[in-house]
Amino acid sequence: MSEKMIHRHDKLSIFIHWFNAFCWIALLLTGLGLIKNEQLNPLGAWWPNLMRSLFGGGENLMAVHQYLGLIWAGVFVLYILLRPRETWLFLKEVFRVSPSRDMTWFMKMNLKMTLGKKGLKRFGMTPDMPPQGFYNFGQKLFAQATVLGGIAIVVTGVIMFLSPLMLDNPDPAAWSRTIHYLVVGLVTAGMLVHIYMAAISKEEKPAFKSMFTGTVPEHYAKHHHQLWYEEVAAGEKKAEG
Amino acid sequence: MKKYAMVVDSSVCIDCKGCMVSCKVQNNVPRGFWRNWIKQTTPDFSLGKLTRTHFQPGGCMQCDVPTCVQACPSGATFKDQETGIVHVNEPLCIGCGNCVRACPYGARFRHPEKRVPDKCDFCFSAGRLARGIPPACVDTCPTKARVFGDLNDPDSEVSRLLREKPTVRVTSQNIDTQPNLYYVTATEPADWPGDVEFPQAYSVMASLVNPLVKVAVGLSALGVAGMWAKQAFAPDPEDDDQGPEARHPESTASKQD
Repeated sequence: MSEKMIHRHDKLSIFIHWFNAFCWIALLLTGLGLIKNEQLNPLGAWWPNLMRSLFGGGENLMAVHQYLGLIWAGVFVLYILLRPRETWLFLKEVFRVSPSRDMTWFMKMNLKMTLGKKGLKRFGMTPDMPPQGFYNFGQKLFAQATVLGGIAIVVTGVIMFLSPLMLDNPDPAAWSRTIHYLVVGLVTAGMLVHIYMAAISKEEKPAFKSMFTGTVPEHYAKHHHQLWYEEVAAGEKKAEG
Repeated sequence: MKKYAMVVDSSVCIDCKGCMVSCKVQNNVPRGFWRNWIKQTTPDFSLGKLTRTHFQPGGCMQCDVPTCVQACPSGATFKDQETGIVHVNEPLCIGCGNCVRACPYGARFRHPEKRVPDKCDFCFSAGRLARGIPPACVDTCPTKARVFGDLNDPDSEVSRLLREKPTVRVTSQNIDTQPNLYYVTATEPADWPGDVEFPQAYSVMASLVNPLVKVAVGLSALGVAGMWAKQAFAPDPEDDDQGPEARHPESTASKQD
């Protein structure tokens, strides 16, 4: 392969991504196992029953869920403390949205992924996409959901953890669980698309590989993240000249 | 499989509160809280000499339709199918208070130190049933107003009483909780409990959040399935240019695909 590769993720970013992925899946599965109530459990009784027999009882399942959740949150807090600049840049990148460019991108991308380029033409649109930065708007939306959702999930989770330990009023725990469940559900809906885009769709294969290697091919960067590519290229030129 | 129940003859209760005290001692019930009770009617003094007060011993009814269990999302509060007793699995409980509110009888309270619900379990966790002795309240009662036993055993005293005497149950207005606490012949007061009320945090989760989450995840899954099908069966021909072999970076250099 003679293709020029461009650096996209450092090792710590790759680690935190897969750490997050592992924790999310594990917490989602154990969390679903904690909802053992006919009116509430979204998968039916078999899932909580299976999880409880796997972990040796609901109380063990609860402990695993709580402590894994605390470790998950703790590692993120540690990351923020160790890399405040990177965190700030990430947040700035993710929450800076250009309405005209990104909305057009979002609409066209949805049509393209479901109806194809022919579908785009049928609606009188050209198949080219507005240029995107380090993250495209879809990635930004999901990143925003994980950041805001993550904060809500950790705060409500900690409230529930502390409730039997020190909270004399039971209401915060009751409402925390409702919010916890809602936010996890919404982020999970986004996560399905995230996993499809990265691991299954052909278009984003290089991005998936970069979550292991840290680099993307130059042509991919140019086509999928043009604004970012131009920045990188300009930076390189400056360094050379 | 057992089905423990209590049959109470409230007409012989003398309101000595022995059941309440012995329960507190046996189960270390914290100050200011009670696992059982004796309710009473308001006497009508206009009846003169005939004025009387009726006393009604009670406690957790170990319902067959336990609204406390319905209000618990995690199953920390559950009805043991082996005994019919409604228990609290304390390490699984986050102390949200749903069950305390959903019980129309007020048979539960949030333990001030453990911050999880506390309730009558027929002295199961105190170990009395395992040793073959009845709950402390039944043991103590001097007039034997409280009778305890297994409804699945036809020879038990509770089974005999239910067979031989008419009994009534005190249930909620809007939901028949099917309590396992029977009163011989009749009992007073009968103007309680009111409606079962599920806490708002629970109702919102059951009727609003849960369907919303299901729809959101379902729509997302549907969208992913659509994209996957599109990619599998009707891929865009240009999609091939993603492979390094058939790529023409020069011709599309300034355009996104």
